[in-house]
Amino acid sequence: MKALVVDDSLTIRRIVVKALGLVGITETAEAGDGTEALRALAGGQFDLILLDWNMPKMSGIDTLRALRQAGQKVPVIMVTTEAEKSRVIEAIKTGANDYLIKPFSPDQLAAKVKSVLGVPTA
Amino acid sequence: MDANCINPFIEAVDTVFTTMLHVQPKRNGVRVSQDDENTQDRPGLTSIVGISGQISGVVALRFPPATALCVASRMLGSEISHVNEEVVDAISELVNMVAGSAKAKLACHPPLELGLPTVVEGTGYKLKYPSKSVWLEVGFTSDAGTFNMEVTYNPN
Repeated sequence: MKALVVDDSLTIRRIVVKALGLVGITETAEAGDGTEALRALAGGQFDLILLDWNMPKMSGIDTLRALRQAGQKVPVIMVTTEAEKSRVIEAIKTGANDYLIKPFSPDQLAAKVKSVLGVPTA
Repeated sequence: MDANCINPFIEAVDTVFTTMLHVQPKRNGVRVSQDDENTQDRPGLTSIVGISGQISGVVALRFPPATALCVASRMLGSEISHVNEEVVDAISELVNMVAGSAKAKLACHPPLELGLPTVVEGTGYKLKYPSKSVWLEVGFTSDAGTFNMEVTYNPN
């Protein structure tokens, strides 16, 4: 199981990577914006993407749109400060599998990951 | 700018610091200041993010160096002893989350837009946005140290 963590914040990437460890995902790659994420996706297979919304160069929503238009079916969880209902709806309509609003606890992220990947909770 | 306008931002600080740092910030009081009173006269780091849309303005978090080191260490889960890119990134993300959480509470349609955060480090600088802005300033104490939040915004 390999996850791609996309966020322009090094701090958030570290927090997310650590939280993924709670659900046994220890193989991760990181990208600092949408263009880096699309490059990583072109060069490898991922089972899950954690995707920020507000990033330089290419936003998370544009990245999500691009990868769905390219036929990528990899599950995507948006992890973002964008908390308005209209944003959540936009992300889900664009193809996000779930949505986690910052700030979040590692347990909240782990629960979302388990839910998206269909891992039964204890 | 009505003093009550600060409430979504104060609630956001509480949510962000409790969730991400496991510290409960205590508010010291709200002060109103003009641009020319808004001077950082002690060494510190200020993370700033702009808001635009139906209202436009700025949210800033001012940290003494010791507080910045403590909050970054808590967020990253490792001891950081001097100001570096990790500290800058951590306090950038804090102001981003505070502004994001507050903008959701402000419930504008369409949603307000956030800029990308910026950090200023130094002594004796002023925040100005725009000319003759009124700033609402809130001091906080916490287990991670003292810090201030400053907010200014106006309807468009």
